[in-house]
Amino acid sequence: MLERILILLLFLIGFAGIVGMRNIIKKIFGLTIINSAVVLLFIVEGSRIGNSAPIIDAEIGLVVDPVPQALMLTAIVIGVCVTALALALAFRLYKAYGSFDIDEIHRQVHRES
Amino acid sequence: MSGRARRILFLAQIALCVLLVAAVLIPVFLSSMPWPLSARDYLQANGLAESGASNLVSAIYLGYRAFDTLGETIVLLVAISGTIAIIAHGGAVLAQGYGLPSGTASEPARHLPPKTRTELLEVVTGKLGPVVLVFGVYVMMYGHLSPGGGFQGGVVIASGIVFLALGSRVDASNSLTSPENLVRIESAAFALLLLAASSGIISGSGFFGNPLAGAGLTPVAFIITLNAIIGLKVGAGLGFMCIAMLGRGK
Repeated sequence: MLERILILLLFLIGFAGIVGMRNIIKKIFGLTIINSAVVLLFIVEGSRIGNSAPIIDAEIGLVVDPVPQALMLTAIVIGVCVTALALALAFRLYKAYGSFDIDEIHRQVHRES
Repeated sequence: MSGRARRILFLAQIALCVLLVAAVLIPVFLSSMPWPLSARDYLQANGLAESGASNLVSAIYLGYRAFDTLGETIVLLVAISGTIAIIAHGGAVLAQGYGLPSGTASEPARHLPPKTRTELLEVVTGKLGPVVLVFGVYVMMYGHLSPGGGFQGGVVIASGIVFLALGSRVDASNSLTSPENLVRIESAAFALLLLAASSGIISGSGFFGNPLAGAGLTPVAFIITLNAIIGLKVGAGLGFMCIAMLGRGK
């Protein structure tokens, strides 16, 4: 139970980063933290029914469930892709407006229109 | 409204937001449903015999659910295309497409800014790069036996490529860290993946079917091949994205 409370806190930290930070880079970090929290939740959940890694050996007890691990492999790669694209967009915004501050960008966009 | 009151209001809004999300998520995170055992039991009993990989995670993402892996590599390809459009060539591709002036995004830096080029970085990353590359190939090729696999090994290879790019001298970029070659490797690996996926059709086991399963050969060779192809693809793709973000994407 304790580990799940900690993972929930991690998720909320990432969410607070997305909502509360004005810097775009920090918002992207928040997105990454949320991604990690979800990955951790799945791994913790899948590991409840066994106690050894899902690799078949000669003598082995009950392995953990490999299905959430394979699913999270996908999630990690896609998380990396999302982060890379978000960082590229932030770079582009910085080149266009000279700032990472979301309020500053908002102001400049309004001034243009 | 004074600045101080505005700040307190802002913090209160964030706190309210986080509390509401927590109220939604608490049942998701803290529920304790009994975890279903059937998938684990089936895989532990039959996974090794059916796919040949003793690492059950590899057996799933390259054997049972290889379609997921194909979709995942397509996502990676899209991310790389996006990075090329947005960052590489100074964003000129995007600027042309939207009719923006590309004057702000002119000449990208040909070498790293002076602050990031120190003797320490040069010596350490230059020497460490090949070792990391060899370790990445090991993780990639032994993914069916030990923890690892194509994606993990590919990420290690990408970090080796970034080390080499950081450690190489100005204008002495070797052919492994040149973006053109990395993009070529990426595309070639994707074509190879599609070819390997179609090879099962010939032997009658269908798309992503294992062509070696009925031929009396050990079926694990198919998993090793797919691991190697995916490792190359992920390594080249992530390495390219990192190098493009280092400002060498031109």
